[in-house]
Amino acid sequence: MRKPIYITAPRPTLEELKKQFPISKASERAIQALADEFKAQLSNREEAPVNSIKQEKRRKSASAA
Amino acid sequence: MPPPPDPKGVFLNIPYDEEFRNLYIAYVVGLFQLDLVPHLASEIPGGDRRLNRIFELIQSCRYSIHDLSRVELSVVPPAAPRFNMPLELGMTITWANLNPDQHTWFVWESEPYRLQRSASDLNGTDPYIHNGTPEGVLRELRNAFHRDSMPSLQGMLHVYRFVYNNFNAILLRNGTHNPYDRSVFNELCMLSRILTDLIRLTRPEVF
Repeated sequence: MRKPIYITAPRPTLEELKKQFPISKASERAIQALADEFKAQLSNREEAPVNSIKQEKRRKSASAA
Repeated sequence: MPPPPDPKGVFLNIPYDEEFRNLYIAYVVGLFQLDLVPHLASEIPGGDRRLNRIFELIQSCRYSIHDLSRVELSVVPPAAPRFNMPLELGMTITWANLNPDQHTWFVWESEPYRLQRSASDLNGTDPYIHNGTPEGVLRELRNAFHRDSMPSLQGMLHVYRFVYNNFNAILLRNGTHNPYDRSVFNELCMLSRILTDLIRLTRPEVF
């Protein structure tokens, strides 16, 4: 069985990567827009279970009444 | 002697064709999620002889992945076998044998036992089998590399799918159809890193 290589090198910094992979200002803005969209998707996924719990509580209290 | 290699650098020896696009995206996204930094031959500026530049790039990386899953006859006539990937693997093996502390190489394939037929001299080398799927590439990256803080496969796939779905916009913005174009690769790298940071901050449970 192969053993995986254990990586201990520190994470590359964003500044380091910007130098290695230069992009235009327009690309930077586009990436930021995509990041915002991704963040919104992540928070929607986070909220989904909470909303369903709230809905379940409302449903139960309505049926009890 | 060249300077010591980047301990996070991974040279990607992959086919530059349209059919490989999804696996290419999976390699780049997956390596960033493991806090490694992929490098492609297309990054190298012109000037010197191409093979010398590729060799310098291999020397500058601590690791390399050689995907031999598409070493086959080209579809476009005249049909010719694709020797670039085995050639670069051969250069890498020589470099690593002479400098074992400086470089570690991996062979990747889509099918088990195919390597034994296509390159029997590599018998004794266990290839990583990705089954030709992005999920397989991400799974095998997790098998090849380990970090204290590792994302789950599901977390990695989530980032991969988002990048894949937005990849055409990256091509359009850079005015090219070539997924391996330097400007596209740079943007793909920066996007992969920023999304990795985001998922790490907002969904720490996947790490």
